[in-house]
Amino acid sequence: MTNSFAVAVAVARKDLRAEWRTRELVPALAQFVILALVIANFGFQIDSRNAPSIAPGILWLALVFAGLVAFGRAFAAEREQASLEALLMTPASPVAIFAGKATAATLLLIGCEAVLLPALTLFFGTPLSVQVIAAVLLATIGMAALGCLFAAMVARVRARELLLPLLTLPLWIPFIVAGGQAVQVAMGASGSYDQAMALLVDFDILFVVLTSLAARFVLDD
Amino acid sequence: MTKYEKAAAGGVALMLAAAAAIFLFAPTDALQGPVQRIFYLHVSAAIAAYGCFAVVLVGGIIYLRNGSLVADRFARAGALVGLVFTTVTLVMGMLWAKPIWGTYWTWDARLTSTLVLWIIYAGYLLVRRLAEPGRQAARFAAVVGIFGFIDVPVVHFSVTWWRTVHPGPIIVNDALPPEMLATFFFTMACTLVLAAVMIGIRYRIETLADVAVQAVAEPAHMVAARDPEPVN
Repeated sequence: MTNSFAVAVAVARKDLRAEWRTRELVPALAQFVILALVIANFGFQIDSRNAPSIAPGILWLALVFAGLVAFGRAFAAEREQASLEALLMTPASPVAIFAGKATAATLLLIGCEAVLLPALTLFFGTPLSVQVIAAVLLATIGMAALGCLFAAMVARVRARELLLPLLTLPLWIPFIVAGGQAVQVAMGASGSYDQAMALLVDFDILFVVLTSLAARFVLDD
Repeated sequence: MTKYEKAAAGGVALMLAAAAAIFLFAPTDALQGPVQRIFYLHVSAAIAAYGCFAVVLVGGIIYLRNGSLVADRFARAGALVGLVFTTVTLVMGMLWAKPIWGTYWTWDARLTSTLVLWIIYAGYLLVRRLAEPGRQAARFAAVVGIFGFIDVPVVHFSVTWWRTVHPGPIIVNDALPPEMLATFFFTMACTLVLAAVMIGIRYRIETLADVAVQAVAEPAHMVAARDPEPVN
């Protein structure tokens, strides 16, 4: 039996190296979130007074839709070259392969967040604090686990562009609720930051465990 | 009359009896007036919906364990019927909210989680339609059904810190007079029977649909294997 951890690391490294060589996804996501901020600027009348109350909403909207794009691409290479079947035929466990894919997709989404968060600060003048970054990163973990699970599920379905948002968005809502609360408080709204963060950690644990249990049924076909 | 028609007629008759109890037997609420009568069907439909989604959950788990077609058909039937009852719950709740809260919709914990419930199982049915029919659709749907069932309490819990206007469980803490309580339990029993009948009929439809798909698919395969010429 191959070491599962080594398999996961190898799969993640393969995906990250492919992204590093082509440099397709992260620049596209960065472009996408900047455009989202530009659209938000024209959709709202933003000034220094209302920016702290509007910016969290813009942040989560941009992040959620960038996430959908990122996870929609997570299995694109495997699909285009029909290599997922070959990958699954190796003795490596499907859960380890899934963990590797999910880790790589998470890191790519974090790369996109590294553009989104400073851009939000630059354009709307909201604070870029440790609290905001921590909340976004914590939410990213659970969202990535779910997003990758459903991306794997729809990878071989014909209407995958339709199905991925349909499946993923409702299940992301708990992360948006808790993460939204945390970012709002970090940007000056009233409420408990610690409670929201504790809830995010709980959701991360719950959904990471559940997705690793479900990954076997989704990939092993 | 087939047994399905008999069961359907029985379900409708029970719902008419429940309507009679709601409008003739139950007293009018002192504060809210006649609009409170929505309560009986609103809460019963919500409980029936949860029951249906529990069928989806159990069916999905059994399907993932042993690939039972019966379990999968029950899950399909439960999702559709549950979606119908969730729709009833939401619509009746909105009609009730307008005169009492002054608005059709508010982002209350229970309303939000019920809406998410509706979206998840509407998605479940779309997965079934869009995925390759057969094993793939069944397996994907089972995963969605299990995650969906878990997500609803999670969403509910996560929004509960924000102020809640929706009343809590008033049945258990004895706030209802006996006539109202009797009407409620009668309506709930009738609604659950109706849900069971609907699942039974839907199960039959799913079985026939599976048989039809097989009947269409199999001869074509067999003919194609024997005869390379295209068949009209």
